Amino acid sequence: MAILFFLMVASYAAGLLLPLCCPARPKIQNLVAHGSAAFGSLGGIGLGIVGLFGPDPLTMSVPSALPLLTFAVRLDALSSFFLLTISLIGLAASIYAVGYVTAWYGHISIALLGSLYNGFLLTMTLVTLADDGFFFLIAWELMSLVSYFLVVTEHEKADVRHAGLFYLIMTHVGTAFIILTFLLLFEGSGSFSFDAFRHPEQPLPDGIRTTVFVLALVGFGTKAGVVPLHVWLPYAHPAAPSHISALMSGVMIKTAIYALLRVYFDFFGGQFPWWWGFVVLVVGAVSALLGVMYALMEHDLKSLLAYHSVENIGIILLGIGAGMIFHSYGLDELAVLGVIAGLYHTINHAVFKALLFFGAGSLLYATHTRNMEEYGGLLRRMPWTGACFLIGAVSIAALPPTNGFVSEWLVFQSLFMSYQIPSLAMKLMLPIAAAMLALTGVLAMTCFAKAFGISFLALPRTSHAKHAQEVPWTMRIAMGVLSAVCLALGLAPMLAVPIIDRVAASMIGSSIADKMLALDGWALAPVNVEFSSLSTPALGLVLAATAALGLGLVACCGGTFPRRYSKTWACGLNLTSRMEYSAAGFVQPIKRVFSTIYQPTVKLETEFLEESRYFAKRRRFEFHIAPVFQTYFYDPVIAFMSGLADRMRIVQGGSLHLYLAYMFVTLVVLLLAAL
Amino acid sequence: MIPDQPIAQAIALILAQAVVLLCVSPAIVGLINKVKARLQCRQGAGILQPYADLKKLFRKQPVLSTTTTWIFTATPYIVFASTVTAGLLIPVFASQMPLNFAGNIIAFVYLLALGRFFLILAGLDSGSSFGGMGSSREAIVASLTEPAMIMAIFAIALTAGSTNLSTIVHRTALLEGIATDPSAHLMALSAVFIVVLAETGRVPVDNPATHLELTMIHEAMVLEYSGRYLALLEWASAIKLLVFLTLIANVFAPWGIATSFTPMALSVGLAVYLIKVAGLALLIGTIECMFAKLRLFRVTDLLGVAFILALLGLLFFYMLRG
Amino acid sequence: MSWLTPHIATQIVDFGSAMLLVTCFAIVAQRRLSACVDLFALQSLFLAMTAALVAFFTDTRHIYIAAALTVVVKVVVIPRLLKGVIERLNVTRELVMKVNVPASLLICGALVMIAFFITEPIMPFGHLLTRDSLAIALAIVLIGFFTMISRQKAVTQLIAFLMMENGLFLGATAATYGMPLIVELGVFFDVLVAALIAGIYTNRLQDAFDSVDTTRLNELKA
Repeated sequence: MAILFFLMVASYAAGLLLPLCCPARPKIQNLVAHGSAAFGSLGGIGLGIVGLFGPDPLTMSVPSALPLLTFAVRLDALSSFFLLTISLIGLAASIYAVGYVTAWYGHISIALLGSLYNGFLLTMTLVTLADDGFFFLIAWELMSLVSYFLVVTEHEKADVRHAGLFYLIMTHVGTAFIILTFLLLFEGSGSFSFDAFRHPEQPLPDGIRTTVFVLALVGFGTKAGVVPLHVWLPYAHPAAPSHISALMSGVMIKTAIYALLRVYFDFFGGQFPWWWGFVVLVVGAVSALLGVMYALMEHDLKSLLAYHSVENIGIILLGIGAGMIFHSYGLDELAVLGVIAGLYHTINHAVFKALLFFGAGSLLYATHTRNMEEYGGLLRRMPWTGACFLIGAVSIAALPPTNGFVSEWLVFQSLFMSYQIPSLAMKLMLPIAAAMLALTGVLAMTCFAKAFGISFLALPRTSHAKHAQEVPWTMRIAMGVLSAVCLALGLAPMLAVPIIDRVAASMIGSSIADKMLALDGWALAPVNVEFSSLSTPALGLVLAATAALGLGLVACCGGTFPRRYSKTWACGLNLTSRMEYSAAGFVQPIKRVFSTIYQPTVKLETEFLEESRYFAKRRRFEFHIAPVFQTYFYDPVIAFMSGLADRMRIVQGGSLHLYLAYMFVTLVVLLLAAL
Repeated sequence: MIPDQPIAQAIALILAQAVVLLCVSPAIVGLINKVKARLQCRQGAGILQPYADLKKLFRKQPVLSTTTTWIFTATPYIVFASTVTAGLLIPVFASQMPLNFAGNIIAFVYLLALGRFFLILAGLDSGSSFGGMGSSREAIVASLTEPAMIMAIFAIALTAGSTNLSTIVHRTALLEGIATDPSAHLMALSAVFIVVLAETGRVPVDNPATHLELTMIHEAMVLEYSGRYLALLEWASAIKLLVFLTLIANVFAPWGIATSFTPMALSVGLAVYLIKVAGLALLIGTIECMFAKLRLFRVTDLLGVAFILALLGLLFFYMLRG
Repeated sequence: MSWLTPHIATQIVDFGSAMLLVTCFAIVAQRRLSACVDLFALQSLFLAMTAALVAFFTDTRHIYIAAALTVVVKVVVIPRLLKGVIERLNVTRELVMKVNVPASLLICGALVMIAFFITEPIMPFGHLLTRDSLAIALAIVLIGFFTMISRQKAVTQLIAFLMMENGLFLGATAATYGMPLIVELGVFFDVLVAALIAGIYTNRLQDAFDSVDTTRLNELKA
């Protein structure tokens, strides 16, 4: 393990430093940076596999010169799982980046970008491996900072700077909460080591535990992007270069899930009241539903994907929240099922979200725009990107037989198992959460039908789209690999689920691997084989057979006629791209039906011909959805803070002497206090 | 529940069920049309007319739009495959289907969603506004039906103690494990019935007989299809209708279905099944004559009722036991 | 009647109560006024049937009288009266609502759940036969109240009021197997008078404002 660990860290460190020392040839810098990142990721994958299958958690620690800080790492099942996820996506992103960054040759420093990229991967892996509170915080803060620098890669654009600043502020607010969490834990244990958190000298009082629960949920929730702390996410993720967006949306926000699981299940040993789980469940359900609803209204492809991260974090929390509820009622087998569902969705979301961000990046690379309304007809011009994006879209829309379907199915099952809970309120709330998940699922399907249909099908809407070309082969390989992983995780869940069961079992203490599988492992049958079962390989086989049946029917019933090609009928006119349904038009009914949530403002200005009011010369249509959280949550807070700052201005004099006087007074007071 | 049966018998059953679904479905469409015609004092086409239509369509040369991509030609096969696969998860004339292990009712719903997803894409692929309009509307109707569907299904699943369709049907048919909850059962049934009307594009949600582009949903999406592709889609939509009628008939009133594999039981099961779906077809035909199509934005009211009914079904299941 | 176990009797009474609740939701979802009136008549019919069933199972004679009165007053007289008002005023549907239909439905669903939670602790103390009906009765009262707030036309508000009354009647039947006959007679008389007054009030509204929109009562202040 130590060898793999050092290999990984050394590769990332090499990727961090070497590009900066390289001659100023962007091509070499590119290869060096992303090559070492790929090696590092391979090391990480190896380390993750070792950790998942190894018998005991592996630990290492290096004391430091600073008090309270120990560079301790620990590789248990939970860490390994997240490390594996990060490294898998890191590997794909590294391959993708080799082609993707070529667009920036000569514009920005590839050395710096590549170096920061390695730093980002390194800090993310350290976050999952840290076994010491102080060390964790340092890694966490570095991860946030490095990702900030990556977000502002294109800092010459004003909106990118704005997005970066927004991200920086939000992530620091979140970090403040996390620091408070760890300080409270430190209070109880007297040490920053995770082991001391697990076994404090005296157990924490209930009030403190509840405070820690809330602080951790807010702090890590900010990074995860749960509603209403998600506001930075749809700005920051799209602003970054696409391979970074893929990492941020795919895996960085998952470090928050890791940390939540670590705190609730590991530090607290799963000792919590039922309402903790219920809060997590509600946060998850609301995030899932609002995330997908806001995503539907987005026409910027990368923002749309960013909002879908909010949705999928919500789905993950639904699984984990259900698990926590079951655990608090002592239904440990079901708790394991809920956590398995959440964790399986974690890796699935990482894979298909990275794939979709790669696809969006390829479209950006080929057309230089992120606005969906300027795409169209790209499937003919970029067939590989299109096919991979389609697989990603089918996966995120949770359609069988892909991976998104399997994990959403597991979440559904764990919510349905609620009938075993003794409390009537929970019996009813979990199915309602399931109904919200169903709505989320079908809205996600709509959203990706829009994203794929408007971008890739029908006629090109602009000349950008008309002259688009397929992207370089490295980018296609990265997308192809992730597409294959999507299908593999969908068709072979029976291989993945027992492994994830080890992770969940390590936290909860009871394994259900033997109860998850039926029929020699060909079907998933969570806990109760009578209640539900699913076999995606069988479904895939039957789908293939029935499709073949369709082909056979066509062949038998005289389907030998050659196809004739003609223009689409457009009421006698020549079809142009302006007649196509636009992305805004496609979601108009949804906007109208859910107007209570969107609070849309629609502005229609019509300029009429002078001759007659019956003929419009020009129409201008504007439509915005109300930024509800901005208006009702953030603006009051900001107003309060700036009001406070205004009042604090009294102490500011601008004179050097005054500040020196402040320091002097402080010094004297401190000296007196020390007496 | 995984019945222990020889592979050959299992495959024979699956094939038999596929044949029943494929062969009976056009007749159901024909029957509904016939009922509607008679209620409107018309003679109407014969019940077997849809077979002739399909035969004709299969033998026509297909015309494709130059703007379309491979999505457009692949969609009919995907829709056909996903619908038939969904149909194979639900017991038709024998309650113990060998494919029971492959997926429960969630898988059933999501398989149909797979077909819908591609149909929406195909509607957008032609580039015409009509296709886009149909796709957009299909999406909103689907979004509103699915939560009601999931709730109703869960209410039924609880009474039978399973979410696997064959298990539900088998247990209900044998009256074992079924809680005597007429209220919960009836509410779930009403919810599912509304959902089925919406899912299969019948009045009052969509009008399958309309040819006015601005009012149609399903027909607008398939507007650019012709020849064998249209034939497959029409067939698939007939199968979808039949599958949903089967869902109502067999989940809520499975009595008469073959619970064992003797030839006698199987043939009785088949006969009872045909009578049940024909009865439901009569009902749907009558409803289509009695009600007007709702405005698109009033569909929310109807599906809201369906959702609430399903929720009440669940509530009553928990509250009114014993 | 060996098949008629207490359990089955409970199921039948529950079923009748459930039907009352379902018609409540139908009224909440219905915009056409005449259909609302019809649904109210249907609801009252279910109420009469449920009451008669309770009377049958418990052998309480005077509930039969109350059930018969329900049929006369609420299934025949009041709906006719309301139909007359609707015809005269020429209002057919309610187009503008303070809360739209799907949202109303969801709120009413939540109200039902609240009603069930409130009555859950006292349920075990109720009569075996009708204890579930108490929760449903409370739910109907709450829904009726909510509908009175959310609708704007005087006629629908009246229907909502009558719906509440139905809920109260069901509750009385469930909790105590009916109130004393004289009280019930008094209540029926009150309801009839209330319906008459409201009918007259609606007509006056129409004369004063050319509308039966009660939000316009604000204008009286000016």
